[in-house]
Formats: sequence, structure tokens, C-alpha cells
Amino acid sequence: MRDFAPSPDAPASPAPHPPTVSEARLLSVLDTAADGIIVIDEHARILIFNKACERMFGVPAAEVVGKNVKLVMPTEYAREHDAYVGSYIRTGVKKIIGIGREVQGRHADGTVFPLELSVGEAATPDGRQFIGILRDLRPRKESEQRLADLQGELVHLARVSAIDEMGAAIAHELNQPLTALMLYLQAIRRAHSRGVDIVTVVGDILDKAAGEAERAGHIIQRMRQFVEKRDPERHVRALDPLIDEAIDLTLLGQRHRIRIDRQQGENLPPVSVDPVQVQQIVVNLVRNAIEAASGVADPAIQIRTRADDGGVVLEVQDNGPGIAPEALPKLFEAFASSKRRGMGLGLAISRTIAQNHGGDLVVEPGGKGRGACFSLILPAAAAVPDEVG
Amino acid sequence: MRVHVVEDDAGVSDSLALILRNIGHTVISYPDAESLFRAPLPQARDAVIVDLSLPGISGAHLVRWLLNLAAPPRVVVITGQSQGFIDHQLRGLVPTGLVRKPLDVDAITRVLPAEDAAGSPA
Ligand SMILES: Nc1ncnc2c1ncn2[C@@H]1O[C@H](COP(=O)(O)OP(=O)(O)OP(=O)(O)O)[C@@H](O)[C@H]1O
Ligand SMILES: [Mg+2]
Repeated sequence: MRDFAPSPDAPASPAPHPPTVSEARLLSVLDTAADGIIVIDEHARILIFNKACERMFGVPAAEVVGKNVKLVMPTEYAREHDAYVGSYIRTGVKKIIGIGREVQGRHADGTVFPLELSVGEAATPDGRQFIGILRDLRPRKESEQRLADLQGELVHLARVSAIDEMGAAIAHELNQPLTALMLYLQAIRRAHSRGVDIVTVVGDILDKAAGEAERAGHIIQRMRQFVEKRDPERHVRALDPLIDEAIDLTLLGQRHRIRIDRQQGENLPPVSVDPVQVQQIVVNLVRNAIEAASGVADPAIQIRTRADDGGVVLEVQDNGPGIAPEALPKLFEAFASSKRRGMGLGLAISRTIAQNHGGDLVVEPGGKGRGACFSLILPAAAAVPDEVG
Repeated sequence: MRVHVVEDDAGVSDSLALILRNIGHTVISYPDAESLFRAPLPQARDAVIVDLSLPGISGAHLVRWLLNLAAPPRVVVITGQSQGFIDHQLRGLVPTGLVRKPLDVDAITRVLPAEDAAGSPA
């Protein structure tokens, strides 16, 4: 294998000299370190490879000392590494030295894994040396992944529970088209069996019946989209149509009518979102608003969108009593609910989703005759065209 | 018989009118309680079919009002809601009939007998 920086005076393969006493002591200290430590020379040849590194990469030091450090990197890093070290030595421009960052390592069995690497530099009588301290990020990544999984599970559960709560009302909604469908068909059946001439109207009635069947299917489809468990996604979308669908879904599960004033902002930039998750926020906010306003004489909510520096804001304002000052500090915490049947998850999950999208969910608490106003803020999608959209 | 139908769902209202005419009734449809109040009073020999979930004035209010008339018509409640909701809404009111959605023609003729020549459905 050729070294990365061919230099005429570099020995092709340095003969490892036996360590001196102080070197031996240093090595034994390095071997007790929990972090991996690799020291390389100007030619990226490994001088020191401690015990932690042996475990991390699955190779004994004896096999790697004297070889190019590329050995423990996946191929694409190895290529760049040549360029980095070369350019640093030529120009002194630091890409990683003294900074530390996340890179990838390659185990002897071929596994590529994430590493946190910080690099220091030392001038020695034998020339410049680079000291790399490495930490295996897999345990941390695993717990991050577990957390993300759990969060996803919770988000899904909350959606299911929202549907469950709306379930009775949705059953009612399904009953309507089913009733109409049944009656249309029975009307035709009766006329037919009694020999009544229905030729002129039957087409019309069948069309209406089909329309009702379609309506039932549509209700189920919207519910299913909302409840099914999926991996989080990102799509570049216009926010307003998503909001309108979510409002429809919420109203499906609503027994009492409420006035909804809907205003759409003009020229809103698209957002990069998981559509179902964003709809979940809208459902939560609108349900809360409807519940909050249900006690007043003329319940009404305003749902507005507008552009706001570099993003889009959705505001859901109701004319209920607003949020009690004592409830405000814990409002977005899980299990903070003032409702008999509430789980107190709606806002906690909504804010988590908003923040996972690089946005936020904030509240203007209102009170003294003014209702609460929740604002969902989402950053505009980056200008790059997105083919998954 | 003259049947007044108070139902806000256009599909249900239309199909119900169709089947009621089909079995020999005269049908007058209203989308809400308010429009029934504006129309001539239902007669004692009429029937009124009331959907329990109405926009504005509730179905239960309308039922109470109808049953309290000097000469009350027959009052048939239709609803797709849960038993709990029905009990809560009707508290103490006893309509002539209660039919839960989804409806079919047999359930309707059981409370409002057919008046066409054929009598009951084929
Ligand atoms: N628009 C609003 N006006 C007044 N209070 C509100 C409003 N929205 C939320 N709240 C208060 O915040 C609490 C928490 O809301 P959150 O949506 O997190 O839970 P929940 O609605 O109680 O239960 P669920 O888990 O079913 O959504 C509510 O119980 C209510 O007291
Ligand atoms: Mg809620």
C-alpha cells in the first residue's frame, strides 16, 4: 500500500524500534484510557494504537503500527483523509485539528460505525505528530434511536387515542352515508318488485347511492391515513391544503357545530414536513379550541396562516376563556390536562413535532374575555427542488 | 300520512324522503328545527321525524316542543349517536319511536306503517 504523501525521504516502511522505558510507561498509560488513542506521523503512519483502539477496530496494535491510518477508515473517508493531511501540511488550513467532529471508522470485520474524533498536533524531534482521540458513538446513537422510536410510538398512540375519542362521533358520521345508501337501494328494490316504472329516475338514484358510498369510503380513508403507523417523512408541501384536510377530519368527530373563520395567507412558501404529523398538530389545536369555546354563547374559532420571516405561521384562535395563569407554566408538559377525559398529551406532542420540524409551537394565553391563540411556526422549505414532494 | 323530516344531512334527508314517498307518505323536509318553526304547525295526524344531532336548536329541544303541543303529532327520533348520548339528550322525553342509524325501510315501517297499496315492503 502506498502512503498518502509520497515524500522522497520517507522510509517505505519504518522499522518499529523497541520502546524506551518512558515510552513504555506512556504506552501503558494510554492503554488504560477508555477512549481510543491513535498517534500518527506526518505521513499518516500509525505510531501508537492503544488497547481501546484494538477493541474498537478489532485489530491488534502490532498489525497496524507503521501502516497508514486509512486502514481504520471507510474508503470514502480514506480518500479525503489523504487530501486533508496533505493540504494541512502544505497550507496550514485546519479542517479538524483542535475542533473535533463526527467521523466514521471501519472495524476489521467491515462494519462502519460513527466516531467522535478530536485531533491534536505535537511537534516532536521526529517531526510533526497528530494525536487522535476517538470515542465510539454507537451507544449514544442507539439511545438516541431508542428515544426517537419511543417518541414515534407516543405520537402514534396519541393519534390513535384522538381517533378513539372521536370514534363514537365518527361512527355517527359513517352512519349518514350508510343510511342514505341503504334507503336509496331499498327504494329501487321496492319499486322494482312492484313493477313500478322507475326507468326515468333509477340512474339518478343510483348515482346518488354511489356518491354516498364514496362519501363513506372517504371518511374511512381519511381516518386510516391519520392513524396508520409510518416512519417519519419529509415532503415539500403547501401548508394550507394540509390544514384544510385536518380541519375536515376534526369536524368529522364533532357533535356540535362551531363557526370557523378560515383565512389563508398569500404567497406562502412551501414547508418541508411530515404531512400526517403536521395534521396531527392541527387536529390537536382545533379540538382544544372547540372544547375551550364550547362554553360560550357563540363559539367561533379563527384559523389563519401567514408568512413570517423565512417561514409560515398557523394561528388557531378561539373565543373561549383563555388559559388560566396557573396552568400556563406546565401547559406543554405531558399529562397536564384540565379535562375529565383528556390525556394532556395533545400540546406536549404537538410541540415535540413542531420542534422536530425545526419550528415551534407557542401560545398567547388570552384571558379576561379573550381566548387563547396557539401559533405553529414552521420554517420554509429549503429552495432545492424536492422530488419526493 | 304527512311526514315532516327534520334532518340536516342532505343525503339522509333526500333518501329518506324518497323511501317515505315510496311507501305512500307525503313528505316535507327541513334542514333544521328553525325552518320547521317557521312553517305551518304539524297536525296531530302528521308524523315528525327528528334527527337528534341538529345544527342550532337541538333535536331534543324540538322533540320536547313537539310533544308539548296541544295536539302533538307522532314524533320519531332518528340518530346515529351512542346510547349514552341518546339517554342524556332525551332525559325523560318519550317519543313515539326511536330508530338508530343506519336506517332501513323495515325499521321505518315498524314505526310509520306503509300506506301504499302493497302495505309492507316486499
Ligand atoms: N384553546 C385553549 N383554551 C384554553 N385552554 C386550553 C386550550 N388549549 C389547551 N388548553 C388547556 O391545556 C390543557 C392541555 O391541553 P392538551 O391538548 O395538551 O391536553 P388535553 O386537551 O387536556 O388532552 P388530550 O390529550 O386529549 O389532547 C387542556 O386540558 C386545557 O386545560
Ligand atoms: Mg387536547
